[in-house]
Amino acid sequence: MSYRIVTNNPSVRENFQDSKLIFIDGSYEDVLIKVRDLVHSGVELIDSPLGASIRMLLSPYRSILVGTERQAMNMDQILLIEQSILNYRTLTQRRKSEPQHANDYAVVDKELLKASIQAYEDMNCQTHSKFTGGEFLETRA
Amino acid sequence: MSNPFKVLYYVNQFFGQVGGEEKAGIEPFYKEEKIGPAAGFEALLEGEGTVIGTLVCGDNYFNEHNKEAFAFIMDTIKAAKPDLVVTGPAFNAGRYGMACGEIAAKVTEELGIPTLTGMYAENPGLDTCVSKVIVVSTPDSAAGMRTALPTMAKIARKLAKGEELGAPEEEGYIPQGRRLTVFSDKRGSKRAVEMLLARLNNQAFETELPMPQFDRVDPALAIKDLSKATIALVTSGGIVPFGNPDRIQSASAQKWGKYDISAAAALKGGYFTIHGGYDPVYANETPDRVAPLDVMKTLEKEGVIGKVYDYFYTTTGTGTSVGNALTFGKEIGAELKAAGVDGVILTST
Amino acid sequence: MKLELRKIQIKDVVFGEKMEVNGGVLSINKDQLVAKLMEDHRVKEIKVDLAKPGEKTRIIPVKDCIEPRVKIEGEGKGFPGVTGKMVPLGDGKVNVLDGAAVVTIGDIVGFQEGVVDMWGEGAKWTPFSKTFNIVVDIIPVEGLEPHVHEETVRLAGLKAAEVIGEAGRYAEPTKVEVFEMGNHAEESAKYPHLPKVLYVEMLISQGLLHDGYIYGVNSQKILPTLIHPNEELDGAVISGNCVAACDKITTYQHQNNSAILDLYAEHGKTINFLGVILTPELTTLEGKFRTCDYTAKLCTMMGADGVIVSEEGYGNPDSDLLMICKRLEKNGIKTVLITDECSGWDGMSQPLADTTKEAVAVVSAGNVSHVVTLEPADKVIGSAKAISTLAGGWDGSLSEDGSIKCELNAVIGATSEIGYHNCTVKLY
Repeated sequence: MSYRIVTNNPSVRENFQDSKLIFIDGSYEDVLIKVRDLVHSGVELIDSPLGASIRMLLSPYRSILVGTERQAMNMDQILLIEQSILNYRTLTQRRKSEPQHANDYAVVDKELLKASIQAYEDMNCQTHSKFTGGEFLETRA
Repeated sequence: MSNPFKVLYYVNQFFGQVGGEEKAGIEPFYKEEKIGPAAGFEALLEGEGTVIGTLVCGDNYFNEHNKEAFAFIMDTIKAAKPDLVVTGPAFNAGRYGMACGEIAAKVTEELGIPTLTGMYAENPGLDTCVSKVIVVSTPDSAAGMRTALPTMAKIARKLAKGEELGAPEEEGYIPQGRRLTVFSDKRGSKRAVEMLLARLNNQAFETELPMPQFDRVDPALAIKDLSKATIALVTSGGIVPFGNPDRIQSASAQKWGKYDISAAAALKGGYFTIHGGYDPVYANETPDRVAPLDVMKTLEKEGVIGKVYDYFYTTTGTGTSVGNALTFGKEIGAELKAAGVDGVILTST
Repeated sequence: MKLELRKIQIKDVVFGEKMEVNGGVLSINKDQLVAKLMEDHRVKEIKVDLAKPGEKTRIIPVKDCIEPRVKIEGEGKGFPGVTGKMVPLGDGKVNVLDGAAVVTIGDIVGFQEGVVDMWGEGAKWTPFSKTFNIVVDIIPVEGLEPHVHEETVRLAGLKAAEVIGEAGRYAEPTKVEVFEMGNHAEESAKYPHLPKVLYVEMLISQGLLHDGYIYGVNSQKILPTLIHPNEELDGAVISGNCVAACDKITTYQHQNNSAILDLYAEHGKTINFLGVILTPELTTLEGKFRTCDYTAKLCTMMGADGVIVSEEGYGNPDSDLLMICKRLEKNGIKTVLITDECSGWDGMSQPLADTTKEAVAVVSAGNVSHVVTLEPADKVIGSAKAISTLAGGWDGSLSEDGSIKCELNAVIGATSEIGYHNCTVKLY
């Protein structure tokens, strides 16, 4: 039951062990792309890639939980991360960055990550669900 | 409005009274006259506008010599300085629809002149322009001219005067895909309750957020032993033998072709592209870039695949209607299945 | 259960010596209110202001809105499990200061939005332009950890509503609404032929500033659960959601949940309203599967014929909404979804983050990216700095005359996904 954190949030880097981190020196989108590459190679996607509020979609920082080992590719997760990247790009075109709020976003992102880790650790499951392809999470082709 | 607004009208070779399919290759020309539907259109403007001239171009010429056609068309329009450009209506004619749509879109984008056209809702040309241009909804055949033209004239008068158009259902145009937030007289939860009651009582209701429809096809079972399998090559990249002997269209294909490639080591040297949707230079140099027969033959020689199927199937994807694509797929699929083919490499562009 | 909401129509709000309602005028003793809120040692300062409909006043950034009420008969003081001892809610008589709202402001983080304009264009887009607002600015002591800061502000707002609600204890109501329902067996026996309908209310449950609470229990920790509609109408569910102004369910909107009210109005007439299922929107994929499976199972177990599902937020919750829909439809249960959409400034983008063909009946609460122009205000209650966040989204959003172009997602309650407001979307 282990996870890794793909993140570009410097506040997260300070607070979590290196061994758990895949730190991206880049943007929110770069984090999504790294997650995509990992999922393609069979790493489990634990968290939803996008946040739950428009505001957090505009955050410069994003932390996403992924698994540790490689297993068989999961089509639903691949579709989900690919669609998330497309959605992200559509939502953020023409927007200015807000460097004055960077710290606050870093704080909230870190807190949301902690909540997510707590939820994951509470789950106590050793094996992963079997997704039978195309069951849900239909995404635009 | 003191002076009548000026309309420049575009039609194809048929509506331009030059000829039918056999004249589809004619170069564009412009006459300061009202040809074909342009005359009826002007009458419907009731004096508020006049048609200053008609542009005519062959549908095949437009699709196959797109750059040259546009050069002439844009120069003509720039010189004539119309207040409004009207193209079509194209009804369900695919190549004509592509021309009407592309011209309307380009004129409004580059010259800032309002444009208007008319098409049947399934015309493949719709996607080229619907978000930028008002497309009047027409029946699928030219018999619908007598209803299409008055609607187009009514909208033309509003566009020329800069008036705002009402909702698509009221005015008669195809929704542009713009989702506009407006106020309703009922709050959302009330509308939800009413919608649920309608569903529970099997009554008609209208969703406020239509989901896109995807045509999902279950994939076939994986091939167990590739080294024993026969693999066919099929493409929508418009790769045809020199001379295009079966006259497959460059856009809005009406047919597909089947060619014997059992003796060929590659497509290069015998094939070229007629696809109107991409820059042809590299495909003409080496058509295997679009349909990789060379690699398939190599894999066959190396024993990775059992055999390359003797026949190569081809058509053009761009502007081809979904209906036709479905038909082609079924027809080609039936032949391949009957021939015992195990798998297909299908390339597109 | 039987709940009587006794509505006292508020026609004006003023500061005064007493805490009372007289002839529809709510008088508030500011010092008394401040003193009560300052009892929490984590609070450094409290500022109270008033904003009335029609005034050229802008309130920003809004944390939460709460309806001031007082229970005059029955169990429950304030918000049980949160500001008061735990008792079951849903029964009794409650005096409601109808038309008044406590609005808490102040940022926990600098990027929060949430604007309420009491006049003009902005007023059309929020329901809180029509309420007499008692705006409470809660400034906490320095150095509080973000969770504690959020809790401090949340509790202060709820307490303020409780204190102000007391003013209505002896006032006469202008109208009384009764919500009464027996248990399922009784109701089904009364109405054997009416279709059974459930309301699934999704709550954002993802962490700091994205929380919901049921009797004080953080919704991140729950399995989907059945709750009696009277309980939510009586204050069992409160909001810990302080982002996503347009579609967050404020505590006020929980207390006045329009989906519950509209379904209740049909109970016994066209439907047999079985109640509410509260469903958390979780972050992890496994969590989503668990929640959505469980929700669908509850609906199926209860024999629902139709379900209305509402969402909170945008982005990953869209997946939960559609997953629940898909499972219900596959079980033969008819669904209607209420959601907002994000179709871009021009309305041309794909409206939802996810899609499923089973979602054939959807009510759209509006496009969160719809741009509105807010005229300059005479008075700003709150943080002027927050205005620059509102306006700073993209180039040209703040113009020289002081008017702001902002997206609907910054306006409180604009695209309420419980259908509280009356926005919709038409295809052009």
